[in-house]
Amino acid sequence: MSANQRLILAVVLSFVFFVGYTTIFPPEQSKNDLNITAQVQAKQATTTLPDVTLNHDISADEQVEAIDTTKLVVLDSEKFSMTIDTLGRISSKILKDEKYNNNENVHSQMVAQIGTKPLHMRFVDKALNDEALKVPYTTNVTKVSISEGSPAVITMQQKLSNETITKKMRVYADGHYDLHITLSRDARYFLYLGQHVKRKGQMMMAVHGAMVYHGDDLTTIVADEDAESRQNFNDVHLTSSFDQYFASIIYGLTPNTTVTIDRDREGDPIVYIAGSKNFTLNGYIGPKEYKVLESIDPVLTNSIEYGWFTFASAPLFKVLSWLHGFFGNWGWAIIALTLLIRMILFPLTYKGMLSMQKMKEVAPKVKEMQAKHKGDPQRMNAAVMEIYKKEGANPLGGCLPLLLQIPVFYAIYRVLLNSVELQGADWILWVNDLSRMDPYYILPILMGATMFYQQHITPNNFTDPMQEKIFKYLPVIFTFFFITFPSGLVLYWFVNNIFSILQQFIVNKQFAAMKALKAANNTKEEGK
Amino acid sequence: MIKKLLLSLLTLYQKFFTLIGYGSCRYYPTCSEYARWQFEENPLHIAFYKSALRILSCNQLFPGGIDYPQKHRFCEKPVEKAEDLTINKIKFWLVPSKNKKISIIKNFRFKG
Repeated sequence: MSANQRLILAVVLSFVFFVGYTTIFPPEQSKNDLNITAQVQAKQATTTLPDVTLNHDISADEQVEAIDTTKLVVLDSEKFSMTIDTLGRISSKILKDEKYNNNENVHSQMVAQIGTKPLHMRFVDKALNDEALKVPYTTNVTKVSISEGSPAVITMQQKLSNETITKKMRVYADGHYDLHITLSRDARYFLYLGQHVKRKGQMMMAVHGAMVYHGDDLTTIVADEDAESRQNFNDVHLTSSFDQYFASIIYGLTPNTTVTIDRDREGDPIVYIAGSKNFTLNGYIGPKEYKVLESIDPVLTNSIEYGWFTFASAPLFKVLSWLHGFFGNWGWAIIALTLLIRMILFPLTYKGMLSMQKMKEVAPKVKEMQAKHKGDPQRMNAAVMEIYKKEGANPLGGCLPLLLQIPVFYAIYRVLLNSVELQGADWILWVNDLSRMDPYYILPILMGATMFYQQHITPNNFTDPMQEKIFKYLPVIFTFFFITFPSGLVLYWFVNNIFSILQQFIVNKQFAAMKALKAANNTKEEGK
Repeated sequence: MIKKLLLSLLTLYQKFFTLIGYGSCRYYPTCSEYARWQFEENPLHIAFYKSALRILSCNQLFPGGIDYPQKHRFCEKPVEKAEDLTINKIKFWLVPSKNKKISIIKNFRFKG
């Protein structure tokens, strides 16, 4: 082994060790993390006030944090509980369904407790704004329960010295609301969309931040920590502040309404909308569940975002969702999807199977060539290919079907990563959440085992002994690699391996049957 | 510069990523090797185009077998040192084939 090869081996081994170690000993680490974030949060809370002059846009809101967080109205439904505070902002929305619970098994909070809150109004006029932050809203109701078909209707009013603000709100059981704002006198103000909760344990590569869907099917996304200068948009169909699964969305704006994406101190995006004296809008806060969003308003489905690969992932999700309609279970839907992809590739496979029949005649010649060029793999490969071409039989699958698997796999990865529908979706036996890693490591191990077996029954000839070694350990590396992946994805890969093995079996059997038939014919002829 | 980057990417691919589906190419040279020869001997855009075509045709609808890259434009290059002409130093044979085309064929005895 050369020094170079040893280096590569060392890198691979340390990678395997690192992944293995972090999966075997995660609890201590996460505890430390928790302490640190708690400390950071405490620090943030104490340092908020002195920073006020830094950026008036945000500090105005954070000042409020220190003054007032009292509840004004509590709305309660079967699925969620929502609170509006005395400044007429949505201060909290908690999803009651346990499948949305966070890592600490607490009901999920949709509204960020640090940062801007939905429906907060900031007046451009400084004196007016200062007064608006001190005077509480009044309301006709304090506790409302919502049920299917009977939305809650709330009227909130803020009486300032020479301005009266009225917010009329209608909150529906499916999580969306209508809002109508009226001012007694014209004044310039901005309405905030609110920021999403910074959730711990977000999956790799899941996008979170703010988006604006505008113009002719244009989507602008500003990821957290990436916000730069102020950006204005018109003709906005919807704007959303989102993470992996949840979003706060405002839609139903008139085309001439200006929506602004700004940055806060941490570089996270903040979205606000220029309001008017008589202002109407619709909003939604909750999980980005396709069917729910579609039933409220089809435009909302544009808020479901799979990163730069959306163009492939979005249709794939539709197929998966369609299959889910048949089986009623996401696990079986994933298996059906794997089968469907295999069926699309079947014409290729079938052609390959047909050429298998010719292989028998070719086999002895190939063996002869392999023996002849034993020490020179390059020459051997060339010679073998020459025979395949002459005889018109080629047993190999080809690079294209293989490379095609990569985008399909990535698209599925993105779908599984961002589909809130898969949260708490169970399959059979021990698999009770396809969006999270397998707690018993069974699926990844099965995946590795099938991969090993598949390698075992597929012939290969290596030109590089180093490569051969890595190849042998590939199932082990993949097992570790897949341990932290969502179970649904591991399931896809596992089922895919099984189909590959089955296919190989059928080919081998056909081949054996052909052989037997030919042998029988030969003995008959000899008998004559 | 771009050529060097692409060639090192190809090396990386050939060393590791190819392992995921090892030994499935229907051709000699394999698709990645074909691309390597293309990028070494032809202009970038030609090499891209030809390599893409090659990968697209590397499936069971095409026969596969031996398929050498063609030299896009032949120009004579003088050899600087006499020792570069020994059998172990020559990398490619440029072999005239049908239709005035020139195939690029790697010397089996080339020692890099």
